[in-house]
Order: sequence, then structure tokens, then C-alpha cells
Amino acid sequence: METDKVQVVVIGGGATGTGILRDLALRGIPAVLVEQGDLAHGTSSRFHGLLHSGARYAVKDKEAARECIEENMILRRIAPNCVELTGGLFVQLPEDDPQYADRWITACAEAGINCEEIDVQELIKKNPVLSPNVTRAFKVPDCAVDGFRILWGNVNSARRYGARVLTYHRVSAIHQSNGRVTGVELINQLNGQKRSVECEMVINAAGPWGGEVAAMAGLEVNVIKDKGTLVAYNHRLMSMVVNRLRPPGDGDIFVPHGTITILGTTSTTVDNPGCTKPGHNEVLELIKIGQEMVPELESYRLIRAFAGVRPLYQENSAAGGRSVTRNFALLDHRQRDGLAGMVSIVGGKFTTFRLMAEKTVDLVASQLGVNAPCRTAREPLTAPVSEELLERGKKVFGVPGAKKAAERLGDSFAQVVEQAEKNPDKGRIFCECEVVSLAEIEHAAHSGDSFTLGDIRRKTRMGMGTCQGTFCSYRILGALSGYPQFAGNHREYLTKFLQKRWKGMRPVLWGQQLREAQLSTGIYCTLFAMERMR
Amino acid sequence: MNKYTDVLIIGAGLSGLMAAAKAAELGKKVTLVAKGMGAVGLSSGCIDLWGYNLEDPNQVCQDPLAEIARLCAVNPQHPYARVQDVLEESLLFFRRVCQENGNPYLDHRGGNWLLPTALGTLRPTYLAPASMAVGDLQQVRGVLVVGFRELKDFYPDVLAANLKKSGVLQADCPLNTLMVCAGGGELTPNTLAHRLENPAVVDRIVDQIKPHLLPGAVLLLPPVLGERWDSQVAKNLAEKLGHPVYEVANIPPALPGQRLQQMLLHHVKGQGVEVVIGCTVNGARVADKRCTEVLATGAGKPIKISAKTVILATGSFLGGGLESKPGKAWESIFRLPVEIGHEKWSARDFLSMAGHLFNQMGIKVNEHLRPVDKTGEVIIENVMVTGANLAGCNHPIEKCGNGVAVASGYKAGKLAGEVGE
Repeated sequence: METDKVQVVVIGGGATGTGILRDLALRGIPAVLVEQGDLAHGTSSRFHGLLHSGARYAVKDKEAARECIEENMILRRIAPNCVELTGGLFVQLPEDDPQYADRWITACAEAGINCEEIDVQELIKKNPVLSPNVTRAFKVPDCAVDGFRILWGNVNSARRYGARVLTYHRVSAIHQSNGRVTGVELINQLNGQKRSVECEMVINAAGPWGGEVAAMAGLEVNVIKDKGTLVAYNHRLMSMVVNRLRPPGDGDIFVPHGTITILGTTSTTVDNPGCTKPGHNEVLELIKIGQEMVPELESYRLIRAFAGVRPLYQENSAAGGRSVTRNFALLDHRQRDGLAGMVSIVGGKFTTFRLMAEKTVDLVASQLGVNAPCRTAREPLTAPVSEELLERGKKVFGVPGAKKAAERLGDSFAQVVEQAEKNPDKGRIFCECEVVSLAEIEHAAHSGDSFTLGDIRRKTRMGMGTCQGTFCSYRILGALSGYPQFAGNHREYLTKFLQKRWKGMRPVLWGQQLREAQLSTGIYCTLFAMERMR
Repeated sequence: MNKYTDVLIIGAGLSGLMAAAKAAELGKKVTLVAKGMGAVGLSSGCIDLWGYNLEDPNQVCQDPLAEIARLCAVNPQHPYARVQDVLEESLLFFRRVCQENGNPYLDHRGGNWLLPTALGTLRPTYLAPASMAVGDLQQVRGVLVVGFRELKDFYPDVLAANLKKSGVLQADCPLNTLMVCAGGGELTPNTLAHRLENPAVVDRIVDQIKPHLLPGAVLLLPPVLGERWDSQVAKNLAEKLGHPVYEVANIPPALPGQRLQQMLLHHVKGQGVEVVIGCTVNGARVADKRCTEVLATGAGKPIKISAKTVILATGSFLGGGLESKPGKAWESIFRLPVEIGHEKWSARDFLSMAGHLFNQMGIKVNEHLRPVDKTGEVIIENVMVTGANLAGCNHPIEKCGNGVAVASGYKAGKLAGEVGE
């Protein structure tokens, strides 16, 4: 069995885990991040992509609200290519309690969140999809954020400072001796090989799996697994994030991202942290509530539904769902349970991932005797793409292709442009819906972290658009058949990819998406007879 | 604008074009209107009749006509049970039309062809255009898969790897791949097909392939060998190489389906059928169980069309013939009922061997292809329903979509032709 040695092991490749990895790396603490699947396969890519201003939490949870607005401002600064400065709205409908609005205005002011009342008539004129019944509307500094890009920004930055990442490695045991963690045992999920890593500290940042990870060290951490279902529309329905001005509930957030809009979310407690099946009834319920703000919602084309599991933390386990705080908790197991060398970071939300990482690494650094201060709030996550490079990109990928690729790739854009300049065939667009070139796909395939078409999808967004991979998945399989990890197992790779996409399409199979499904079965069953492929 | 016609066909897919061809042959005044180009252009271009054995759905069916006869006995709700009387006749008619137009379709001694696809899978089909009709792969002494550098939708290595896995070739059969260049740049299947109509380009391809030819090898190429239905590109390439050359089925856009569609359009126009593409039918007037008028829009102008017979060849959800909302589905022009059953519309597995209910959803008809309600009562007397609109056909799994389209289109055309003055 292969044995490794490192100072800190971070468990979990979501926003928090990668944020911690970056923070450790910037402070010069050698670390390895271990992740059971691909990076961002869990909660960090399964949310509405809202960078909260904090206004949503202002009334109920002032501390969370204050953290949100501070982190919101930091992320805009350090990761401009991951944040779309849409601005946000809170709209009140006649059925909403008017007194809540007044409490909310005061609470926002106390939390330091700018909120400005705007003229309703003007608003409806600019955003005609909104209900004409809106009674009051306020502007807040909400934004849209790309979870994938943030994660990759964290990882790339951490790697530059020497950190390592092991994806598809599941922790199977946490070793301890004399009340101290001594290391972890890992199983490679792709080939079953075992591997152990000796370390001084383990950071449990496993999100919804946090309770399971803690249990491996014999600890009890009560993570409430709260499933939220969301839907993606094939239109940019509005130019700003739109929230409902009432206590947080289901189906009350619309977030525009590029050409699509995400509507979320629901809240259901589940047992399995991997339960990401979007429910058909939850989808219908979401749309029904969403219609109160956007009356014509039924006539817009849905692309898919998806679900993520929020890891909510409650020290004692009575509450669930929306009544549990969205705040995070840092558990020092030395103090709490008498096990040195292990901390768990639980709860929280995407917007505050950096702060969670900072607090966690502050604790870990102090236990390791490292004095270096946190630098993640100041140091840019990715260097901006220069105008000159963008112009070069436009020549090889076309204008929309270059813009999208530059946003997705950040620091790596230069390499991808170079590849396409050297070999013009690589400038070809393979995923037409999301305008992804062969050069970008090969870049993702080369990264060393890509083992499935799904891994490439998460890195490039290929297959995430209107056709949901019907055309590009087959094409990309062909283009990558020269790579050892993709050669020879076409049926399995393609089936897995198509099945994952299918899971998201099934709950929204009506209207245009049912047509798309007929085309898709027409190609893979009628034409390719893939259901009987050997 | 007002139009009067004997037979109005809505939809330019395979069943609509078949109906038009037959009704015109019987001397009727026929008008065909369609919103778009019809799904036959997206299809393989082959006529799948029935792919697998009823008892063992993994076993390729050796006698599709006999199997369909058995099917009709065990599943009288299948659309084939409504068109069984004309099935063979419709296939003969189809082949005659193809032959006359210089695009012969071949059968495989009454059984199924087993044709390779671009993915390297094998698909059973009953009639194939000559350019696709690869004989028994078990017998071949070598295969060379040739791709074009200009094309991003065809990968010889993928085809070869999976064809090998399929086990259809003899163990020692050489299987090689080759990429050739047809002049560079990025081309779509259509622009490549256009370029290949130039004999000089074909000569350059021949030069690139020749050094790689092994004795007895069969060549498999993407479906781009020629634009028109009577194109000689595949034939010329084969003659110049001295080896058989075939196109394999691939994702759209692919030429064989488009050629079939263009050929049938050309044919029906030659038969005097008035064809209006880009014409959307929005609704219809029905009085006394008869459709008196169809309301359409073409080039931004309203058109009213009266016809003795209306044939609804509008192509299921994909073609826009059926529409849906959560828990509801209906036919879009006449609001004919679409039974949705109590089950889920789709299976959990995308590639489920049971298929998906949404592909079987459609309009119930009687033996005259008239739409009927739950009790079997005809809803509109002078409307007939064809092709993918018919309920009860699990075509992606059964491999029978184009077969049902040929037979039901033909039957509707024939019945419309029998309607008196």
C-alpha cells in the first residue's frame, strides 16, 4: 500500500474544502485535499448560484447577514471572473405581510446591507416578466456566482503554492493513537486501490457527509441533510436576482446566469447525503410558487431540474429545514471530544465559504504553531484575462466562444488559446450550446483530474445547455478516444453521461424538453441501438 | 387566402409524403402543408420494419413480416395492427418510388440487414439505400473505416473499437482506420457532401485511401457521400477504389435521411402535389364530426384550406403534432385526446430496454386510421392519423418507426384516394 506524509489532510472537495486548501497553501502549510468524487460534484455545484448580499437572512440571522455582505464584497474583488454583477431585487406581493418589509429594511441597515426602494412601475417596465401586482421593490447587492469557477480558482491557486488534490479517493478510516489523529486511509474509487496518508491534522469539510466522516473518528456530529431542488430555465428571464420579500421559503429566488435562469429552492430533510434526485412534485411546487412572482412561468422552456443537499448544523438535533440556522460552526474536536488533530467545519453556505476556511485555518494554524496570517481575502483568486489575450481568443474561437472560455478558464485561458493557435482544428466548437472548443475540452482532459465525461462537463460546462449533451457527448467521446482513460469503454462512459443528464431532464419532461427527449431517444435508441450495445 | 383540395396532408415527414404520393397516384388533388422539414431528414434513411424477436428482444429478427403478423395477434393496439392489410403493398410502393427516382432501396432476402453505425453498434433494418446496404459483416475479409478531418461528428476509432466488441466480425478480420482530408477547413456533413460531388475531390480521397487498402476490404464512411438522392458519389468512389464503399448511420445532420426526404418531395411535386413548407396550421373548424376548414399561417398570411380528407402526419411531440404540460398531453390542431395512462411518462434509465411511455403516447385510431375516443367512437370522420402520431408504438426500442410511417402513410393516401366525389 502506498503511504504518503503531509501536515494536513482536508476531506471534501467543495467550496469549503478547496477554500481551506487554498488558505493552508497561502500560509505555507503543506496539505492534501481528498475528495470521494470529482471536485464540486456535491452541494457547491447544486445550488442557485446566488452570491448573497445577506438581505435574505437579515431579519432572522443578523450575524449570517453581516458575514454575507462582507464576503460578497470580498469575492467581487478577488474573483471578478466568477461573479456576475447582476444586482438583486426583493419584491413584495399583495399577499405578503407588509410589516415584514419594515422589519427587513431596519435589519438590512443594521447588518450594513444597502437596500434602496425603487419605483414599482419603472421596475415592471424594465422587467416585464415580473407580476404587475408587485407592491414594493428594493435593490440589494446580490450577485450571480459560478460555483465551479470559484472551486477551480481555489484549487489552481492552492496548487501554485504546492498543495495537492486527490479526487476519486474516499476516506475509509481515520487513524488515531493516544487521543491524536495520525492519518487517514483512502480507497481509490476508480481502481479500488488503498492508500494511506500520515498527517498531523485532519479537517473535515465534507459538507453533507460531515457526520459520516466524523463517525469514522468515533465522533458524533449532527449534520442535518436538507435537500433543495432547483430548476434551470433556458432563458434569461430577468436581468437581476429576484427574491421574494417575505420570510425565506420555497421557490422564492430567481438567479439569472448568462443565458439561463435558476429558480429555487425547496427544503426537505433526507437521510442520504448523496440524495440528489430532484423530485417531480417538488418541481411542480417550485413552479407554482414561482408563478406568483413571474406569472408566465409555465410558458418558458425548462432545461432540467437538479438538487443539492445543504449540510445544516444543529448542536442538538431537534430542528430541521428552514428553522435551522444557515450559520456555520467550527468544531475543535480536541476541546469538544478530546481527540487532538481533528476539526470539523459544518453548516454555513456558499457565500461565506472563504470566511469558513479562514476561521478553520486560523484554528488549525494555531494548533500547528504556524503564525502566518490569512491572505485569501486580499490575494486575487485568478489573474484577469488581458484585452490582448481576449482578442487572440476571438480569432480562434469566435467572439462568444472566446468570451465564455475566458470567463470559464481564467488563468488557463492563455494555454487553451495557444493550443488552438498552434492547431486550428482545436479551435472547433464541440459543444454548441455552451460554446466549448476542442482545445478547452482537451485542456480539461489533460488536467489529470478528469476520469469521466462528467468530470469534463463540470470543468467546461459542455453538455449543460439546451440539448443536454445529446450531440456533444458522442462527439467528445470520439475526440477523446486517443486518451487512455477514455479509450475503449465508450458504452459505459456514454451511458453514464447520458444517464446523469437524464436524471435532470426527467422531472421537467413536458413542452419543449419532451421534444428534446424524443430527439435524444431517437438518436441513441432508434439510430444507434445503444440500449442493446455490447 | 382560401384553398380547396381533395386531400390535405399536414406534415412533410415520411408518412405525410407517402400519403401524398399514394393519393396523388390515385388521381386526387393533393395539398401538403408543413411547418418544417419533417423528421425523416433526421433519421437513418433506412426503413426499419421490426428489429428483434418478440420472445427474445435481444435477438435480431430474421423475418420481420412474420414477426409483425405475430405482434398484431398478441398486441392488437399496436399501429401495425391497423395497417397490416397494406404493409407489403406499401413497401412495394415505396421501393417502386425509390427505384423510379434513382435511389433504390434494397432488402436483405426478406430478413433484416444488420448495419453498422458511426458508434460501432449494429442496427437491424429492413430496407436500406444501396449506399448503406453492407452485406453480411461476418463474411467480410477486412474493414477500413475512413473519416474526414473536416468533420467533427465521425470518429473511425470509435466505430472500429465498438464494432470489434460487437463480435460480428470474424476474429481474424483486419479492422483499420484512416483519416483523410477533403480540402481542409471545418465542414458540416452537408457542406462536405457538396464538396464530394466534385470528382476532383473524390480523386484526391481515392489517392489517400489506396495505399491503405487490404485485399477484400470493405470501406465504411460517414453518411456524406453525395448530396442528392440520385448522387453517384458512393458508386464512383467504390469503382475507383475497386472495393465496396458504404455509408453508416450517424447523428443528424446526415445525408441518407435528407436524400430520402428530398427524393419524396421531388416525387410528389412531380405527381402534381402542391407543397407548402413553412406553413403552420393553428387550428381547424369541425362541424358535425367533420373538419370543414383548416386554419393556417404561411409567410405571415392566414390561409384557410378546405379538404374532403385531412391527413394528420404531424409527427408526435418532436414534430409538434402533440403538445404537453405537466400531466397533460393533447394533439395540437384538433385537440384530439392523447391517453397518458397512470404510469410515469419516462423510465428511470435513459437506455431502458422497456423504452419510455412518452414515445408510445399518441392518438388512438380505428382500422381506417380515423381518430377514436376511449369507446372506439370516431371523433372526426374525415381526418386520418399517421406515423409517429399513432399511439401504442414503442418505436425506438422496437425499431419500427419508419416502417409504421410508410405503411400508415400509404394506407391513409389509399383510403383518401377511395373517397368519392
